Amino acid sequence: MADATGVAAAASSKDPAEGLAAVAALRALQESLEELQVVNARQHGWSWQQIAAVLQVSKQAVHQKYRRLGY
Amino acid sequence: MFEKFTAEARRTVVLAQEDARSRHQGQVRTENLLICLYDPPGAESVGAEVLTRAGLPRSEAAAAVQAIARTDPSGPDAQKLWRLGIDLDAVRSQAEEAFGPGALERTRAGRRRAREGHIPFDAAARTALELTLREALDLGHRHLGTEHLVLGLVRAEAGAAAHIMAAAGLTLDGLRAAVAELAPRR
Repeated sequence: MADATGVAAAASSKDPAEGLAAVAALRALQESLEELQVVNARQHGWSWQQIAAVLQVSKQAVHQKYRRLGY
Repeated sequence: MFEKFTAEARRTVVLAQEDARSRHQGQVRTENLLICLYDPPGAESVGAEVLTRAGLPRSEAAAAVQAIARTDPSGPDAQKLWRLGIDLDAVRSQAEEAFGPGALERTRAGRRRAREGHIPFDAAARTALELTLREALDLGHRHLGTEHLVLGLVRAEAGAAAHIMAAAGLTLDGLRAAVAELAPRR
């Protein structure tokens, strides 16, 4: 893992390839975390409406995305 | 360049990617290529034959590769996220505390990452592949086989494979001679 100096250097880097790749990695991580939380909420008996409200998205969006998981 | 590879050489490259993935590396390195020359067991490549006869049998190669194994447990994504100030290992351990071991990897996005995540060749491995081509050309061979890959690996001195081979007493000249001898049989 990079040390503090490396991070500081990277943070000030304006290389688009690095920056965009980092954002893509972040999006993938966000998707994983969202799925974990949505599945957990369903297991706790939350409705799609409740989940959507807290996620701040439409009920349709969250239902469409996750209903195939069978929750 | 890959279109000139023999089926066996292509298989080795594919297996090396799998090997790197299974060792949780962020990049494919020369040692992955080296060890995969011996795979699958029972159907070793021409390159593995050359190596074995030169004094580097599978068992010794495997032990040497194991000894230098460097895993990047979090893979390439961790490095990218680190640049954003996010510690993926910390996020992962939080997720696993709440949802069990491998929680992140079990999600759809996690499985997609594992399946499609392209593992690039590191600089030494790229050099080895380039030198593989050069060695085949120099020998006047029209195919790129695992025997040429052996020569490429021993010449890519920045890679661990070259060090493993040198430590076993293998030399470029010796291997070249072995490959030249072998060729007419094909």
